[in-house]
Amino acid sequence: MTNKIETKELKYGDKIIRMEGVIVEVHEEGIAVDLKGRLGYLRVPNRMVISDYPFKVGQEVAWNMSFIEQLGPDVNTKYVSNHDMYLRRQKEAAEKNNSNGNE
Amino acid sequence: MSISAETAKEHAKDPAVLCCRAEEGTVIQASNLEDPAIFDDLVESGLLDLDGALTIGQVIGATMTKTCDSLTALTADNLKGYTEAEEAPAPAAEAPAEEAPAEAAAPAASVAGGMMRIHIGEGKDIDLEIPTGVFGSGSGVVQAAPAAAAAQVAGTVAAAPAEELEGKVVRSLTRKHYTITEVKRGPETKIEGTTLYIREGIEADVIENQELVHDFKLEIITPDKYHTYSETIMDVQPIATKEGDDLLGTGTTRVLDGAVMMLTGTDDNGVQIGEFGSSEGYLDENIQWGRPGCPEKGEIFIKGQVTIQAKTNMERRGPIAAHTAFDVITQEIREAMKELDDSLVADTETFEQFRHPGKKKVVIVKEIMGQGAMHDNFILPVEPVGVLGARPNVELGNVPVVCSPLEVLDGCIHALTCIGPASKEMSRHYWREPVVLEALHDPEIDLCGVVFVGSPQINAEKYYVSRRLGMTVEALDVDGAIVTTEGFGNNHIDFSSHIEQIGMRGIPVVGMSFCANQGALVVGNKYMTAMIDNNKSKSGIENEVLGCNTLAPEDATRAMYMLKAEMAGESVKAPERKWNPAVKQNNVELIEEASGEKIELEENEQSLPMSQKRKEKYD
Repeated sequence: MTNKIETKELKYGDKIIRMEGVIVEVHEEGIAVDLKGRLGYLRVPNRMVISDYPFKVGQEVAWNMSFIEQLGPDVNTKYVSNHDMYLRRQKEAAEKNNSNGNE
Repeated sequence: MSISAETAKEHAKDPAVLCCRAEEGTVIQASNLEDPAIFDDLVESGLLDLDGALTIGQVIGATMTKTCDSLTALTADNLKGYTEAEEAPAPAAEAPAEEAPAEAAAPAASVAGGMMRIHIGEGKDIDLEIPTGVFGSGSGVVQAAPAAAAAQVAGTVAAAPAEELEGKVVRSLTRKHYTITEVKRGPETKIEGTTLYIREGIEADVIENQELVHDFKLEIITPDKYHTYSETIMDVQPIATKEGDDLLGTGTTRVLDGAVMMLTGTDDNGVQIGEFGSSEGYLDENIQWGRPGCPEKGEIFIKGQVTIQAKTNMERRGPIAAHTAFDVITQEIREAMKELDDSLVADTETFEQFRHPGKKKVVIVKEIMGQGAMHDNFILPVEPVGVLGARPNVELGNVPVVCSPLEVLDGCIHALTCIGPASKEMSRHYWREPVVLEALHDPEIDLCGVVFVGSPQINAEKYYVSRRLGMTVEALDVDGAIVTTEGFGNNHIDFSSHIEQIGMRGIPVVGMSFCANQGALVVGNKYMTAMIDNNKSKSGIENEVLGCNTLAPEDATRAMYMLKAEMAGESVKAPERKWNPAVKQNNVELIEEASGEKIELEENEQSLPMSQKRKEKYD
């Protein structure tokens, strides 16, 4: 791809922890989950959730995961550039939306 | 946990291990033995040592010579009265092709079009059924066979059907290709020679078309502009139209070569419409060139950038509005194409849908996303990959819809899937669907149709559509099926259920999906024995490169060989516990050696430019 970050073995990858969360957003393409205990926020597309019932805000969910490990000190310039572009577009959009609102 | 007598029979050749403490003098029965399914885990964690273990088939009825604890492997040291290993299979494996000539030569000479079954014992134990004609004729067959690795030619030549039934053409589809070398803006949309002109100001019509579309930009990306930043690529579409009143999947289709439609977009807040795992960035670094769904290097992209109402990217109506509005341009080009003169036709190709009565009847099942916004597809538009006349599979309840292979190749699917760029099947994918093409052109099978089935979000609905698929396939009375799915996630639940529904009816079935590391299957059943992994990425993950891990011709070839082996009654060896790319490589080599034909392997993300100086380049 871009910067050559070779697939690095995870040091703690086999330590699996049960995490729980609460659905806080329901959209037609995905949901958002607050991890219980204010441990973070997760937004995933529908297809990454296994569900037996229609989604509702307040439903509890659980999954297994581990901690996030850094793969290395290098930055991937592709993502830096995309992120910069994203911020710039956000700024442009905000300015445009503001000026439209003023008209 | 102990196993039943039936399980013991199934696993007769697996190692025998005690499931619980057994006293000296105990006569071993199935109930004393542990289920071999869990051995891999135990061996890996060091809890179990299988050195010198006898097989289950050998130890039943034998007597313990000493008292042993649970999870002890039964060996000659702690057991007496066991059966000696059967010698028969070993020499057969060592003497691969010697006996083949005798068996194959005579019938090959007398039976034209006979089949030779080859069982390959080494590597991944792939079973092949290959027309003898592939090797040439007569004794040529037996010369080629020994070369096929350490092959054990166990099969015999099947008698050819008494009466060779001719194939029957059900319908045909002709594609007239028109070359486009230049795309320009002009006062009206028209095609002159090999130049396509797109009307100036058409952007206003696109914006006008849909209330949710707030802005639209059109860009012509020529090869020298490939290194341009682009928002996430939502879809790549062929530019094609039906001639006269021809219906999709029959008659004549006109298609432009050298240019494709490419849809990208964000919402008012600059958020990508395909927000999850999107492919925004420099085009040349984000596209896996040449995949069935992707552009070819050298093609001109007519790239639309749609801006839709804020937050509607998270609702079904947002992406649908973007696709519908963008089709305004494609439709105007289609209208211009209808005026084209036949003198401009650069090439004509005809697809014929043959039925081959007497051959193995095969159906292709394609699972498409149907979980909601973006996980959706328009089925059967009036124009190839159009919008008008089509119905979204989500609204159809995701139930199975049967299409002819020619409808598939004529653009009966307008894909709305926006997420997981590496594994999503875009509209152009169906236009060049490799499994459909492979099956369509294979005279050894009788391809009866392609069934599209959506993947709903909720499990109960998944099983609802899956049971309908089972009934559909049962009614089709097929001899074999290939089930494919795009992407990964909860669609693997219905994917495996589809395979179960087909397998439980005694029909051989091959599954195809991106799995590797990240897309590892979360569920399984006993019918999921023949599986093809569509992964191409080096690390086995969603690498954000458009189309990288989608179904390619090389996967279709492997699937077809695997299905033929299954239909011939051969079994496919169980996979390794963890994803190992070597398995695929091995299978490819086995097929190459046996068929004598080189299988072109696709490139992956490693072939794309690695821009170390990106920072200097982007302003």
